[in-house]
Amino acid sequence: MNKKHKQMSALLMACAMVVSMTACGNSQEKTNTSTDSNTTEKVETSEGEVAEAVAVVEGDTPAEKAKIEDTGEIVPGWQQNADDKVKLSWYMHFSWFNTPWGENLVSKTITEETGVDIEFIIPAGNEAEKLNSLIASDTLPDLITLGFYEQQVNQMIDAGLVYPLDELADQYDPYWYAVAAPEKVGWYTQSDGHIYGYPNSSYTAADNEKYDNISSNQTFLVRKDIYEAIGSPDMSTPEGFKAAVKAAAEKYPTINDQPLIPIGAHEFTSIGCTSFDDYLCNFLAIPYEKDGKFHDRYTDPELVTWLKTFRELGQEGYLADDIFIDKRAQMSEKIAQGRYFCMLFQYTDLANEEKILYDNDPNSIYIAVDGPKNSKGDDHTLPNSGISGWTVTMISKNCERPDRAIQLCSYLMSEHGQHMTWLGVEGETWDYVDGVPTMKPEIKELLQNDRTAYDKQYGADSCYWMFQDNAMALSWAEPKPEPMGQLERWSYPYVISTSEYNMTLEADTEESDIKNKINNEWGIVLPKLLLAPSEEEFDQIWNDFMTKREEWGNQQLIEKQTELMNEAKVKLGITE
Amino acid sequence: MIPKTKKYTLYYKNQNYIINTTEKRMGGILMAKVAVVKMPKSKNGTVLLKKLWEQRGLQLMAVPGLIWILVFNYIPMAGLVIAFKKFKITESIFSGEWVGLKYFKEFIQDTNFASIMTNTLGISLLKLVIGFPLPIIFALLLNEIRGTRFKKLTQTISYLPHFLSWVVLGGIMVSWLSKEGVINDFLVAMNIIKEPISLLGEPKYFWGIALISDTWKEMGWSAIIYLAAIAGVDQQLYEAATVDGATKLQKIKAITIPCIAGTIAIMLILQVASLLNSNFDQILILKNQINIERSQVIDTYVYQVGMTMGKYSYATAVGLFKSVIALFLLLVSNTVSKKFLGRSLY
Repeated sequence: MNKKHKQMSALLMACAMVVSMTACGNSQEKTNTSTDSNTTEKVETSEGEVAEAVAVVEGDTPAEKAKIEDTGEIVPGWQQNADDKVKLSWYMHFSWFNTPWGENLVSKTITEETGVDIEFIIPAGNEAEKLNSLIASDTLPDLITLGFYEQQVNQMIDAGLVYPLDELADQYDPYWYAVAAPEKVGWYTQSDGHIYGYPNSSYTAADNEKYDNISSNQTFLVRKDIYEAIGSPDMSTPEGFKAAVKAAAEKYPTINDQPLIPIGAHEFTSIGCTSFDDYLCNFLAIPYEKDGKFHDRYTDPELVTWLKTFRELGQEGYLADDIFIDKRAQMSEKIAQGRYFCMLFQYTDLANEEKILYDNDPNSIYIAVDGPKNSKGDDHTLPNSGISGWTVTMISKNCERPDRAIQLCSYLMSEHGQHMTWLGVEGETWDYVDGVPTMKPEIKELLQNDRTAYDKQYGADSCYWMFQDNAMALSWAEPKPEPMGQLERWSYPYVISTSEYNMTLEADTEESDIKNKINNEWGIVLPKLLLAPSEEEFDQIWNDFMTKREEWGNQQLIEKQTELMNEAKVKLGITE
Repeated sequence: MIPKTKKYTLYYKNQNYIINTTEKRMGGILMAKVAVVKMPKSKNGTVLLKKLWEQRGLQLMAVPGLIWILVFNYIPMAGLVIAFKKFKITESIFSGEWVGLKYFKEFIQDTNFASIMTNTLGISLLKLVIGFPLPIIFALLLNEIRGTRFKKLTQTISYLPHFLSWVVLGGIMVSWLSKEGVINDFLVAMNIIKEPISLLGEPKYFWGIALISDTWKEMGWSAIIYLAAIAGVDQQLYEAATVDGATKLQKIKAITIPCIAGTIAIMLILQVASLLNSNFDQILILKNQINIERSQVIDTYVYQVGMTMGKYSYATAVGLFKSVIALFLLLVSNTVSKKFLGRSLY
């Protein structure tokens, strides 16, 4: 028996070795052949298409070239290749992105029309960890979508890991210039004259003027029934805010037998809590620059006043521990139960929970009201995404078919592509009604009632948002239905553009180190400030933090930020 | 009559010997001659090779393991150079300028250094002093249980939590430990506390939570190795002790513990060596921004700075710093154990 056992394990071991050895051999062969085919393919395509491409597009900078209109003379690249099936991999720098490709109507149709199939690569946990390892191991997928503010954007450009989109467009798809917005191209053109990534959710100055229904997702939310029961008080002053919170907690100590959480917030992370820093600054209309210098908004006296207000409430027990501890999962459970009275929150994050509340009792939903204001009572200034937008999509040099990648980008950027990703397939999910693209009622109903099922079946309504042009979508947008509609409409008057202040510090520089250090310290200091047992202690913590910042080189950081801000202003044409 | 001769080789105390035996029968009497010859040291190599060749079947089985260690443990060590360099992820680890001990200095001068070290050592020492003996006691108790079915059931239940990952368990724990969670309900119902307390919101409770939750999760699993060691104890010793009239407790003291002392010593050495390792998953999940002053440990800090902020050189320096101390601890504890217990890893 024992001997047999040994034999067996020896056999197994031998098998394992053989398998691993052959596996090694295989993968090596595979990479060899693929690099071979890669090079030959590239040569072929570039020879084939260069000639016809260059003839059409004139102009020097990518932005100038992009000024040509879509006159229909240029044949979109994607139309030529629909029969040649390729598969591209697409990295999404967002671990929550979970709509697969090829299962719903929209993605199937796009694959059919362009011949491009997509395989998404999505980080399982921390995004930076995944992307950094992809960069370090030189295994970047074909397309990369990440926030424009990520330091990896510049890292990839500097290291030459991504293609200049304008060069690809010259070579393979002049149609790209017809669908790219010159302002956006100009904004994203680097000092070397090339553009490496195209933004989504980007609003040009013209868009801002044209539409008065541009929304912000930053809102101050209160639970409707409680708010009305305490007489819909004004919560924009510290006194009013404190009184309202106390009144609410007194009148409704519990919700479904569990204690009411008087003030809610986003998750506290290692670099702070947007509800109490960034959003609060926006609500207090704290300026981004003062006396021609970049303004360190988190140190503004207006913010300090309000942080002290929250501290006082905390001292009296109105800041529940939950808000400091809860992660997203616990938070959404509590929102769905309506346990918070008020919160500075990104309303798009609670669409599902709001739906649950609405179905239970239309009075228990969260509504947007005017939130904390500065001592002068100025209007809130809620930034829209501006010209920088939200994400940029880049094409990596590992891409074996950059021609198809750029053509796919053009497709998605074009009006046809926007119709596809926002509304779906014409005739199937939408039709022109009085010249306006309109989603069919039964499909709209599914969208409103069961987003998951909708995504699975149709996948429109910007389920694939990598090139979403929110401004274009406004031209056919219908008012959002309740309960979310009120939240969106509330934000319209307060939206401002802050493009010139959206900046990314270069990675691995002294300034970015300083900023990281300060941010990390803020992540520790902010909860301490809010939970400080007395005002003296608050001041003590605050002053310590201020001294530390100066020691770490805050002045140097502000100078750098001022410099970047001025550069951005020139680029946007605000100053000469 | 032809004498029978045989030749043996013997390896004893770092020395190879050749033993020649000759048997002869002379008039019904067996005469044997044994000659022991020390083999010259220089031949050691060839003997080793010969021995390896003789055992080639068995040795072959060790090869995959060796390759695995080489590939995953030794080759990556080359990456440690980035602790002394300004590393950029877009370049190879061998390019980049040398900065010497800059990142080590930075870590030691870091404002968080003191609290990170205190937490790491504090939590680990608690786990060593309290968390280490518990599985041994548990194994001893379990061993004394008579009913086999009950024993097996207890053992299975005790090591079930081990199979839940901290990611899953952590999420559950956050709810359990909250003010409205079961633990507070229980403590209030038992009149141990009057008001529910936010266990994860108070920094002072964090070490305790880390210790208790880790012990609860891993005790059953860690007991397995001791149970195995106990199973290997010669039953005759117990029988003899029974005959001598020893009580249960005496048997445990005089037989079981001395017999598993070797296992205990080795586990202890390993535990001491990993004093600077904390349970990364556990702490990452349970820590939050208000208990961070008692919950940030070296591992989570390395993760935060290195992975999420992209300061790989700094994080590598911190990791290397940790490893060097761990090596030192291992050597010291091994030497101590060798001297006083006569047991060691090597």
